[in-house]
Amino acid sequence: MGSQKRIAKELAELAESAPEGITVKLADESNLYIWNVYMEGPENSPYQNGTFHLTLTLPTEYPFKPPTVSFRTKIYHPNVTNDDKGSMCLGMLRADEWKPSSRLAAVLQFARQLLAEPMPDDAVEGRIAEQFKGDFARYEEVAREWTRKYAVRG
Amino acid sequence: MSSVSVSASASPSSNLLPSSPSPLPSSDSRLRPLRRLSQLRAYTQLHFSSPPQQPQQQQQPSVASSSSSSTNSQRVSRRHTLGSRVSWFSAASTGPDSSTSTVGTTTRAPCPESEYQSTFARYSSVFSPSYRGLELDLRSQPSPTESSNPPLRNETATATGNQTQEIMARPRGSSQAVEARPNGEVSSAGNILESPDPVVSESPCTSSPRPKQKATIRFFPHQDSHASSRPSLPFIPISRTLPSDSCVIRVGRYSERDGTPVANPTEPSDAPVGFKSKVVSRKHCEFMYLNGQWHVKDVGSSSGTFLNHMRLSQPNIASRLYTIKDGDIVQLGIDFRGGEEMIFRCVRIRIECNRSWQQQPNEFNKNTENLIKNLGKGDAADYSGCRECSICLGSVLRPYQCLFMAACAHVWHYKCVSRLIHTPDYPMFQCPNCRAYTDLSAEVDDTNDFEEQEESKSASAEDKPDALEPARSETHTPQPDPNAITQPSRSSGDERHPETRLPVEAGLAANIENMRLQDLDASDDNSSQPRAPTSNPDSVPSNANNEVPGWQSLTQSPSSAQTRPAQLRAETPVRSESSDENPLTPLNDSGPLALDGRAAMP
Repeated sequence: MGSQKRIAKELAELAESAPEGITVKLADESNLYIWNVYMEGPENSPYQNGTFHLTLTLPTEYPFKPPTVSFRTKIYHPNVTNDDKGSMCLGMLRADEWKPSSRLAAVLQFARQLLAEPMPDDAVEGRIAEQFKGDFARYEEVAREWTRKYAVRG
Repeated sequence: MSSVSVSASASPSSNLLPSSPSPLPSSDSRLRPLRRLSQLRAYTQLHFSSPPQQPQQQQQPSVASSSSSSTNSQRVSRRHTLGSRVSWFSAASTGPDSSTSTVGTTTRAPCPESEYQSTFARYSSVFSPSYRGLELDLRSQPSPTESSNPPLRNETATATGNQTQEIMARPRGSSQAVEARPNGEVSSAGNILESPDPVVSESPCTSSPRPKQKATIRFFPHQDSHASSRPSLPFIPISRTLPSDSCVIRVGRYSERDGTPVANPTEPSDAPVGFKSKVVSRKHCEFMYLNGQWHVKDVGSSSGTFLNHMRLSQPNIASRLYTIKDGDIVQLGIDFRGGEEMIFRCVRIRIECNRSWQQQPNEFNKNTENLIKNLGKGDAADYSGCRECSICLGSVLRPYQCLFMAACAHVWHYKCVSRLIHTPDYPMFQCPNCRAYTDLSAEVDDTNDFEEQEESKSASAEDKPDALEPARSETHTPQPDPNAITQPSRSSGDERHPETRLPVEAGLAANIENMRLQDLDASDDNSSQPRAPTSNPDSVPSNANNEVPGWQSLTQSPSSAQTRPAQLRAETPVRSESSDENPLTPLNDSGPLALDGRAAMP
């Protein structure tokens, strides 16, 4: 499969020079299509000091179809669904915006960037988005608390 | 969101750039006029439709002289914007900015006039009516026609940049984009329509004697991929090149009375465009080209014209003009009765306009041409890691591997990209890198003879430095026309047969070889452009000063230009013993080789 070759290549590149605050591992060494990603909360964000576990799932049609990113660690964020899926809304991952030339490294960087700068206008959690816009202090507080509760390992 | 896509797209493409410093400079000098014209086009085009070029242009002044802050911000925002949408843009923009332009500037560093020059260059259009006409014709940017304009211009540009950025952040008419758009539109269109914009006031007087590039627009069927709606009316891609700027393309319901609509006339035409759908009014909307920009206007349709989901007017009421840009979606009417029957489906048109910069020589396809030239030569060193297939991330410089090059000069392994070619949408092909649509079934354009003539002509002219000036102005005048005519079809031809297009590509690319210089030197060119007609005493020395060294050092003189292909020829047989090169090398090199052969002929 062509996709495997590309994925292996991207994985190798990521392993060699991972973007800041991001660690990537295969969930299962025999399966290139599911990655475990550990993402440190960006500094100066309420997610700071947290380490978030994400799953990056690649379709077999990759790179023609976009990967999906989901948070395994609970996170209080307007762009991440607050359910057991933890799906993340990434514009570039939408089927019609995805470009095969996009790289996973960029996807992950984007995801991390989204932690630093949520996009409330593009939210999947409307309530959090509203809070983010209307009562930022409260949002920060909750997000920090959740981070402490779920994303910081003792 | 855009930031990421920027990096996403920039990473592969920016790799390409380092290879740019080693262009084949050979054809530089000879193709000067041609190149210049295209550069001009690229520059003017990019001014509006493709910001990156502008940053380059703007950098000139900022390096050399002054006006920096707004320039910088603008630059950032623009690059941002662009990258998020058109990946190779970032290539084009980051490359010249970061590496190439420095090369260029340093090369010309000894020239004390650089400051004067660049400033001069920016406003040089004033000096040359014909040139300015060209610019206006091509471009939409409020062009600074007086040197007192710079701040204004920068602001406008920045504003445009921001606006585009907003829009482009969500390219496909999400609600956000829709919101952003009307606002931006209003202001920009407002400028054009109401304010005594310099462009508006200038165009009448400049429009007469110009060598001009004709305005081209293409309509592609668009399917709203994330809408739950039914597919829109299918139609064959339609291309129109306006015979004159005052022409209007009328769009309405197809009617037997009008006869068979001509989908893609090879000649310039303003033939009306008809769609076989009941939801399209007989007179539905019109496309027109004003002040270097395409506009759409609802002419009182009953079911509406939508620009990126925004309805332009109430039923049966004509709208004002709205500027459209490349990639915009224009929808005619709304599905009726659920659109179950084909005849009740709305028409969704993806606009392609202002793309000629892409079909013209530019930094990127220059690089590609270089790459192609070195294909199979084992000289992967220059390109290793630079030219990769964006699908498999492997190098395209592998022997024994079929490649596919789109009209936008992006290259992939055929094997990798084939599933994007053979889709239900075939013959429409969308570049996975830059999203440019191409029609793979378009006729091959074989009218490139002119260009080659042009090349040889200019080549011979450039052999004699004295003849340079006249040659430039001579070649300049006839140049645009054929180009304008051939251009649309050429591009389509390219798409269809990658192989056939190689010569053209090579020719193009040969022109392009100078683009690097030229991009940086857009100002020089601008300034030198007027020089011939006006013979402005000031500009002459400065131009001579900067051009000659600049050129000579970065490029090769005609004589060396000839030696280079000779080397190539010499090399070819040796290498081609490996036989896989035979089919490739001659073809790929045919541009420069042909060029040289011709030039060598009496």
